[in-house]
Amino acid sequence: MRLARSRLFPLDIVLGSALLAAFLLVAFGVPLLPIYEPYEQDLMASLAEPFARAGEKTYWLGADALGRDYLSRLSLAARVSLGISVVAVGISLVMGVALGLVAGFFRGPIEAAIMGLGDLQLAIPRVLLLIASAAVFGSSIGMLMLLLGLTSWVTYGRLARAMALSLREREFVLAALTQGASSSWNIRRHLLPNVAPNMAIIASFEFGQVVVLEASLSYLGLGVQPPLPSLGLMINEGQLYLEINPWISILPGLVIFALVAGSQFVSQRFTPENRGAGLSRVPTV
Amino acid sequence: MTLRAQPAAQPAPPLLAVENLVTTFRVRRAAWRSDELRAVNDVSFEIQRGRTLGLVGESGCGKSTLGRTILALTPAASGKVRFEGVDLLALSGARRRDYSRRIQVVFQDPNASLDPRFTAHDVIAEPLRIHDAYDHGRVEELMRGVGLSPSVQDLKPAQFSGGQRQRIAIARALALSPDMLILDEAVSALDVSIQAQVINLLKELQARQTLSYLFISHNLGVVRHIADDVAVMYLGRIVEIGPTHRVFSQPRHPYTRSLLSAVPAADPRRKASRDRIVLQGDPPNPLNPPEGCAFRTRCYRARPECRSASPPLAAAPFDAGHRVACLFPHEDQSR
Repeated sequence: MRLARSRLFPLDIVLGSALLAAFLLVAFGVPLLPIYEPYEQDLMASLAEPFARAGEKTYWLGADALGRDYLSRLSLAARVSLGISVVAVGISLVMGVALGLVAGFFRGPIEAAIMGLGDLQLAIPRVLLLIASAAVFGSSIGMLMLLLGLTSWVTYGRLARAMALSLREREFVLAALTQGASSSWNIRRHLLPNVAPNMAIIASFEFGQVVVLEASLSYLGLGVQPPLPSLGLMINEGQLYLEINPWISILPGLVIFALVAGSQFVSQRFTPENRGAGLSRVPTV
Repeated sequence: MTLRAQPAAQPAPPLLAVENLVTTFRVRRAAWRSDELRAVNDVSFEIQRGRTLGLVGESGCGKSTLGRTILALTPAASGKVRFEGVDLLALSGARRRDYSRRIQVVFQDPNASLDPRFTAHDVIAEPLRIHDAYDHGRVEELMRGVGLSPSVQDLKPAQFSGGQRQRIAIARALALSPDMLILDEAVSALDVSIQAQVINLLKELQARQTLSYLFISHNLGVVRHIADDVAVMYLGRIVEIGPTHRVFSQPRHPYTRSLLSAVPAADPRRKASRDRIVLQGDPPNPLNPPEGCAFRTRCYRARPECRSASPPLAAAPFDAGHRVACLFPHEDQSR
């Protein structure tokens, strides 16, 4: 209780940071250990439980069906999932902000075209769209990042447009126009810096969603392909052995939880209500 | 005789001459129907170099739209905006930009007119950067010119007071060495004591740099103090225009008379001797203005003739330079 009330260490920040730290430790700390061997197979250790010993080696988190050290697999998978999600969020962020600002600043047919495309995308469930696209375009890591990015720009686009609509009428933009500033000057110098904080917040919320989406696709076999591990794929692989060694599915689930919950708790601290308002009030879209 | 028949010298064209300017907005009433709103209706006036025209009128009468149209922030429907004789509305692209940077603007709300993410230095430097003419010393010079110490140049707008922010906005407007400033309610958001300081600064700058001002305000006292000439707007039209002292001492239009009678007097004895003209009703819907004189629905002089046609802005007899749009400009002179 005292922790929750403390201003210096609010519970959500402490919890979120701890979860994120645990995730980062698994992702980037484990490869430094001597036991790190994500591809080394030892069939004698197949489906070993956590802390099992086989010969010289200790399998701290057990082993998968092919006898690969599970801690090492998790670490690699964590980095794969993180990398895909970060790049996908980056693609959607850049695309959404650019399209949204252009739509909101220029208005007219450009706006109608961009926002129409966005509405169209929103009308189709994202997972369905992703499954269909993955089926058509195949599944490689690059394609996965691109598809995840292309299907999630609308959130940024809508907010960026809404903010651009109000910013373009602000006097500092009008003053720049009378001084001879071009549209691109105004978009770069005035609109972009003023929407950036809100876009960063949206990105941090979207990030969790994209992690889960990536895991879902990989779980369905439409994302990362073996032998490369991914968290969703590992949950799927563990399904067959739930009765023998449930940890194989539980552990990647926990890693996903740590990443998503950790990033959400921490990012919530930076929403405008919690940060002291500036210009970056989030208008309703 | 021959000498006098010739004009002594070709008079220089006014710095800014607005001719029959009309600005319209389309107001959508329903999906299939939209009405035209004439926010600025057939407005003409001139401003000489180094002079100030005060533009007064109640909220929604089109004062600010007129300013924005001159600045090309709002497109004009028809008419001309001549700057040194060149019609700005007929120009396009780079030539337009060359001219329009010579008319700059200061807005009402200094909070909204400065980008909250810029420092004072960046705000003032922006016009220079737009024209690839950035010079650190010039920014500091501009700051000193409006009475700000260059030592505060790295502060954000939120760290300044309202008056200081307006000084920053004025410095920005002066950065490109314009010939004219449009001051759109530039002191209305400030405290009275700060208003006086900013107005004195504006007068000082005008004297130093031969600036012309279009001073848009609803505050008659301030306009009387700063303007050489005054134009009174009602429902998109100028109803009276003339030298400030003439308009204030001998208002001809009933609307001007009622506006002036509403100005509080500092001297209670004077106040008691004056008649307060209280207008009836609200301004008419600008989407559906009355036929004939737009003011007749609220006018105490209104007669049946007022219904027939909108009175032109005509010179008042015996009073060149003072023009009024009223069919009966000489009634109630005793009031």
